[in-house]
Amino acid sequence: MNPVVTGVGFITPIGNDRPSVEQSLRDGRHGIEHVEFLGNADLPIKVAGTVKGFQVESPKWRDWSWPSGYDIPKDVLRGLAPHGIYAICAVEQALSHAGLSASDLAGDPDTGLYCASAGSAMLLHYNLAQMRAVQGARGNPLGVVSSIAGTLNFNLAAHFRITGALCGFVSACASSSHALGYAIDDLRLGRLNRAIVVGAEELNADSLLPFAHMRALSVQSEPRMASRPFDVGRDGFVGAGGAVALILEAPAAAAKRGARPLAEAAGWGQAADGYRVAASHPEGAGLRLAMERALADAKAAPGDIDYVSAHATSTPVGDSAEALAIVRVFGSRGLHPCVGATKGLTGHTLSLSGVMQAGFCVLSITGGFMPGNPHLGVAADECEGLELPRQTVARAPARILSNSSGFGGSNVCHVFAAPNGFTG
Amino acid sequence: MAPVPPPKRSAELARFPAEVLEAYQRYRLKGDAGAVEAVVIAAAVDYRPAASPPARGVSDETRLVEDLGYDSVAVAELVFFLEDLFEMTITNEDILAVRTIGDLRACVIRKVAAKTGAS
Repeated sequence: MNPVVTGVGFITPIGNDRPSVEQSLRDGRHGIEHVEFLGNADLPIKVAGTVKGFQVESPKWRDWSWPSGYDIPKDVLRGLAPHGIYAICAVEQALSHAGLSASDLAGDPDTGLYCASAGSAMLLHYNLAQMRAVQGARGNPLGVVSSIAGTLNFNLAAHFRITGALCGFVSACASSSHALGYAIDDLRLGRLNRAIVVGAEELNADSLLPFAHMRALSVQSEPRMASRPFDVGRDGFVGAGGAVALILEAPAAAAKRGARPLAEAAGWGQAADGYRVAASHPEGAGLRLAMERALADAKAAPGDIDYVSAHATSTPVGDSAEALAIVRVFGSRGLHPCVGATKGLTGHTLSLSGVMQAGFCVLSITGGFMPGNPHLGVAADECEGLELPRQTVARAPARILSNSSGFGGSNVCHVFAAPNGFTG
Repeated sequence: MAPVPPPKRSAELARFPAEVLEAYQRYRLKGDAGAVEAVVIAAAVDYRPAASPPARGVSDETRLVEDLGYDSVAVAELVFFLEDLFEMTITNEDILAVRTIGDLRACVIRKVAAKTGAS
């Protein structure tokens, strides 16, 4: 039996709770703002998908603040990275949405935690600079657990007293889709009854500017022009931060406690490009295979898909590869599901992006709408055959295919379905 | 004891009561080793994990783990803070010998004295 999603939590550039995120998606309202990094007004990066309501720019946890209503004790803060703050807030929302409390997780051997983040480059840099300043003589004892890739799973597991599976995923921008996929598998195999899937990323000079040096970021200063997936004039992605948490449950476990299934995690698939370290296969070969495998796993035909939540980040090469792959899977069969790229609104949240899209898919299914591409002007030639609505489509999707791709040519796709057949 | 340069880390003490900052400046500017005590006690209270009981009547006999709720990581954090503040090194062996505030205070004063004596 496929797991069901019973709760979602959001800290995103387009809203810090479920209603505001849903409204932003419906209205096509972006969360991209002007930014200046490192006090350098000459940097070509002018905009980012910022997280509002948090003060986490400092490398010192004592300086941080976050919106009221979230309980983050001192002994947790000391080992946390800024994106860990976002993540705890998102998990608390998701638990509340699912009708669960933190005490339901604590010490439950049937609850697992599946996380994805890139770690904290800012804290890693700060802590190592402190160490080097004294020629290695001393350093922050919590420097490792607060900054390395894995910081999210270390800290959330300790905070929420997780005793089932605990793991982290590092496949760059496909990471949280991997986390979700392996959580689904563990639930399907009966290893657990419940999984918390969390992706989180911080947004600061250390996390983002290295991508500018790869020439991967948009240098537009107008937010609507900067993140415009599939547009002929796109020039790179817009960096963003935040956290999203999903609660997945085995259907019997959800039914037993009377939880309402929001969506079914119907299937997933992955395939790699076998091509370049930081560029997609030009025809999206791995992504196409991953989409086909996800459909097969969900026992769905391409014609069963109403909406494709594209990975499209607004880079010239990546969007082109994805467009060609989608055309191959759908258009070549005369099928034209709506395709939407929500990174036009949020910017690209890197390892968080897969589970963020998954959260948006849940909102689409429960709210009966399909986000469009409001920043898209003229679609690129390779999008010929794609149905790319500009505005949100007020129609409920029965099944959604959601794509993710990461460095090294990692591609992960998920199918989400309306929870037909479940009670509640 | 020779005067030492003005405090580099006084910003780190901004969250402490004014008398703690004054004590630290007395140590830095005048080499007053007796002023170390106030800083050590304030830091030991500050670095205790939040779940520990509130610190009341901290004395030389107050135990870090049993009375202030310290765990090994919090001890390491406190030691890192004091090492950086007083620019000395506390070894693992030193840490294992510290059970109480009095032990810690004596350890820091000994290290500070050894450092200034050697310079």
